[in-house]
Amino acid sequence: MVSVINSIDTAHEDMIHDAQLDYYGTKLATCSSDRLIKVFDVKGGQQTLVANLAGHEGPVWQVAWAHPMFGNIIASCGYDRKVIIWKETNGTWDKLYVYSNHDSSVNSVAFAPHELGLVLACGSSDGSISIVFSTGDGSWDAKKINGAHSIGCNAVSWAPAVAPNALLDQSGKQQPVKKLVSGGCDNLVKIWREEDSQWVEDQKLEGHSDWVRDVSWAPSIGLPKSIIASCSQDCRVIIWTNDGTFNNWTSKVLHKFNDVVWHLSWSITGNILAVSGGDNKVSLWKENLEGQWVCISDVNKGQGQITDGQSAISS
Amino acid sequence: MSSSCSKTMSCNTEGQVNSIAINRDSTLIVAAGRSVFKIFSVDEERFIERLNLRVGKNLNLSYSTLDIAWNHFEDNILASAATNGAVVIWDINRHQRNKQEFVFQEHKRTVNRVTFHEKEHNMLLSGSQDGSMKLFDIRKKEVGVEFCIGSTSVRDVQFCPCQLSYFTFASADESGNVLIWDMRRPDRVEKQFTAHNGPVFTIDWHPEDRTRLATAGRDKMIKVWDSAKCKLTHFIQTIASVSKIRWRPMREFYIASCSLLVDSSINVWDIRRPFIPFATFENHKDVTTSIVWKNDDPHILYSGSKDCFIYQHLFKDAKRPADLLVPAGLDISTQGIISHACTDKNEKTQTSSGRPFFKKNPGRSEKFLEATSYLMTFCHPEESLSMDWFVISAQRYLLTGRPLEDLLDHNANVAHELGRHQVAQTWEMLKTLYCTNLPSTVVTGHPNLHQQRTISVSSDKMDTTLVKEKSDKVGKGARHKSKADPEDKTLDVTSGGSDEEISDKEMNERNLSNIARGQINPPTDWDIYYGGGENSFLDFNSLADMENNKQPLTLPTEAFHPRHEIASQTRSLEHFQYVTESPASGNEGETSTGTGNTNPYASDKETSFPILTADPLALQFPEWNFKNIVIDMMKYHAREFDVQTSACMLIVLGNRIKSEIDHQVQENWLLSYIDLLGRFKLWSIANEVIKLSYPSPVSHLNQQSTTVHVTCNKCNRQLQRSGWSCDRCKSVINICSICHQPVKGLYVWCQGCSHGGHMDHIQDWLSLDPQCPAGCGHFCEYT
Repeated sequence: MVSVINSIDTAHEDMIHDAQLDYYGTKLATCSSDRLIKVFDVKGGQQTLVANLAGHEGPVWQVAWAHPMFGNIIASCGYDRKVIIWKETNGTWDKLYVYSNHDSSVNSVAFAPHELGLVLACGSSDGSISIVFSTGDGSWDAKKINGAHSIGCNAVSWAPAVAPNALLDQSGKQQPVKKLVSGGCDNLVKIWREEDSQWVEDQKLEGHSDWVRDVSWAPSIGLPKSIIASCSQDCRVIIWTNDGTFNNWTSKVLHKFNDVVWHLSWSITGNILAVSGGDNKVSLWKENLEGQWVCISDVNKGQGQITDGQSAISS
Repeated sequence: MSSSCSKTMSCNTEGQVNSIAINRDSTLIVAAGRSVFKIFSVDEERFIERLNLRVGKNLNLSYSTLDIAWNHFEDNILASAATNGAVVIWDINRHQRNKQEFVFQEHKRTVNRVTFHEKEHNMLLSGSQDGSMKLFDIRKKEVGVEFCIGSTSVRDVQFCPCQLSYFTFASADESGNVLIWDMRRPDRVEKQFTAHNGPVFTIDWHPEDRTRLATAGRDKMIKVWDSAKCKLTHFIQTIASVSKIRWRPMREFYIASCSLLVDSSINVWDIRRPFIPFATFENHKDVTTSIVWKNDDPHILYSGSKDCFIYQHLFKDAKRPADLLVPAGLDISTQGIISHACTDKNEKTQTSSGRPFFKKNPGRSEKFLEATSYLMTFCHPEESLSMDWFVISAQRYLLTGRPLEDLLDHNANVAHELGRHQVAQTWEMLKTLYCTNLPSTVVTGHPNLHQQRTISVSSDKMDTTLVKEKSDKVGKGARHKSKADPEDKTLDVTSGGSDEEISDKEMNERNLSNIARGQINPPTDWDIYYGGGENSFLDFNSLADMENNKQPLTLPTEAFHPRHEIASQTRSLEHFQYVTESPASGNEGETSTGTGNTNPYASDKETSFPILTADPLALQFPEWNFKNIVIDMMKYHAREFDVQTSACMLIVLGNRIKSEIDHQVQENWLLSYIDLLGRFKLWSIANEVIKLSYPSPVSHLNQQSTTVHVTCNKCNRQLQRSGWSCDRCKSVINICSICHQPVKGLYVWCQGCSHGGHMDHIQDWLSLDPQCPAGCGHFCEYT
């Protein structure tokens, strides 16, 4: 009944703000206010610290892993307005590139699907989103969406590259989707797409009544529709779906929690959504056959108990 | 408290402010800079300009101020430090317009700091770029004592609060050193330590703790020292060089700082949590140059900035970065392990009904210090997140290399064993649809192949009844029967023929096995026979291998499981194993009631044939196009987040279905599946999928970015331009052993003797002679 719980002593000296597993789920990167990023090997239920990445001059808010085809690469962003891209070579991590073209704290980083190359989106408190990309010859370039969210952007997430209704090029080959979703302090969720090498607003999704804290585009594993989850300080999680028809997004409130919802994470196939809230709990949600989101488990790590909440909540 | 009636307010001074100072009772504030020198009164609602000191005809450099200090005792006396090295005493009560009381021209270079002694109100201390500090007596208008530190510049001087130590002051210089002096002893330094890497811009004594001295500088560090032991006790790293620090009055651990560059905000730190500011004031648009706490009031802070504004900040209006940050991290691994970092390790009191119950709500400052996070990984005990099924399925599913029926059967079994009955059902349905009803061949399904094939169906009567009986059970009705029948005709010929080849020599055994297979088998299998019949009825494909009989054994719909289920399952599907096993089962079969039935079958093969062919013609039904159903099923699985099933079915069915599904959809499924396999490091399976996929974007995947490097077999140099000539040896390498020409395409190479050549040459040669064409005497082996 009780799941295997492993408590990892990270030895971080301050609060941990993000913990991300790599593509294969064998490495865990954590970042903290103590300006450090720590990388752990999590093979076989054992966690061993393999690296301490020091380089930020302020708290580190988020980390993201690149697709392994580019090597072991981590991007991190923080209060010092910097985005640092780290690369491991022969067991040592070094800075590959530092992007410092934001005027305020950088809150979120996300790597694009590997089909698009080594591309990174960063959302900052200065309200802008940067798309930083490797030009392939070792140098980096960036495009910026200015004024993406007034007051600040809190989260960015990329659309899967393989998606239904993708554009076709002349040869009939499917073009990888180049879209991302962002959430900000203006209570909005916005979808952006690249058009003629410029990033333009594709869609503005209104539904939250307070800061949007996290957005997550679900992996579309052969799915005919696009799904985005967003969570907010208004304690709600909203699921946005697009059935493939042009720009027609419908929203459904997954649940209104008792506390701020900080993070969202989709399972690998996109059928289960994990929600982490201000009450320090993680709950797992799944859509049932009737199209309602049901909590399939509440995990209170303190006791390691699973309470099966069978309450189906529809908006 | 006075702050309760105050508010955050600002005022434009119309000039970049370098320094501000407040008078003793905090009613007046002076803002000074290169082009501004004004005194404002601090009202409840706003700052009101009271006096502009920058007046008169000859505004020389002594009006251009770097630092300013207000006398602690006489409210009308101010001192300013000018960029030209002058220290100016101002008396705002002077009746002239020019309020300059006296100008000390003692310093040779810019004066960075002036400060009054708290009690000795005639004593003014200055620190200058010229490396000296001077203690002025402003009443005598002369320099009392001079302190010299040599060539380096003095950036800051501060008196120790005099209730702590009356005569002590500290100086900081550009080389990173902090010196502690006794003002009566200009000849020697009391204490000295290197505090920073690079210039120290600012120092501040803790108002209540004499040993606590804070320093900060260009190295972006704020350091707190035990000045008695010269020991570092706390440090804070900021994001920019620090220009000013000020301890918050009446608080033990708080210190405010502002930056020289980049960051225009004022941060207030708790030195116990050095990573994130406790509070931030972000009102200024340009860097803040000067900060002053209201005397004995921790709730009000004044600041001046290069944006020309002075501000009164109320602590309650400060931003609290700690409240905005995300205190949790969350991720799900490919294996379904959840990692979660949060601030709350273990709330024993926490129940599902409510939040933890605190006796006392901790204050903001206590909460601020609760900054540890706990990181845990856990997996969900239910299957919902585990992807084991995916990995096992991927490893065990057969996608090619066997007859369709086998593949479908096998995959259904795999799904069953993993408890995925719905998926298993789908595989079985595919078997039903495709193996009884091949759309590509005119002839569709047929029943009980094995019967006609080897045993030969006895009488049509017998057969039809049997068929009917089964079809009732299956619920498929006569349609199947009718479709099945024509198949009899063709398959009888083909399979019968093939059977004969095999069975010629082992006729006897075969008969036994046929009996066993046919229906008989052990008594327990008698039940299975119906199952078997049903299954074969549904499933036979053109090859109609008899092992199909065995498959239904695993069907959970059986009334009961045969005793020998496991044995029969593990049996290989090869004919010969059947044969070897058949005697045993045959023996058992004798006891069964079924034996009676089979014998007649066996005897009447020939007679049954013509009659069977007649039947189907009479009952011909229109062909049923079920492809859409199949496609729907596949789409359903994809929609249910199981792209594996869809992709595998797509591959297994291959040509039968591929023209019917939109290419993009197929490509999506396959690419998604391949991507998933990659995540689980199942690369060889992914490669197999790629090989078996036909949409070109998919099938070309494994040909991309694959390079085979060839090196010269003479000099080991890597061949750059072509595979047959070496740049260094300047020779053609690996010529064909037969025609002695370079081989520009495929080179066939014997791994035994390393000779080889053009593929067709070698083939021709070896068809005549097994020995190596190069004459080395090796009997070449090619696989």
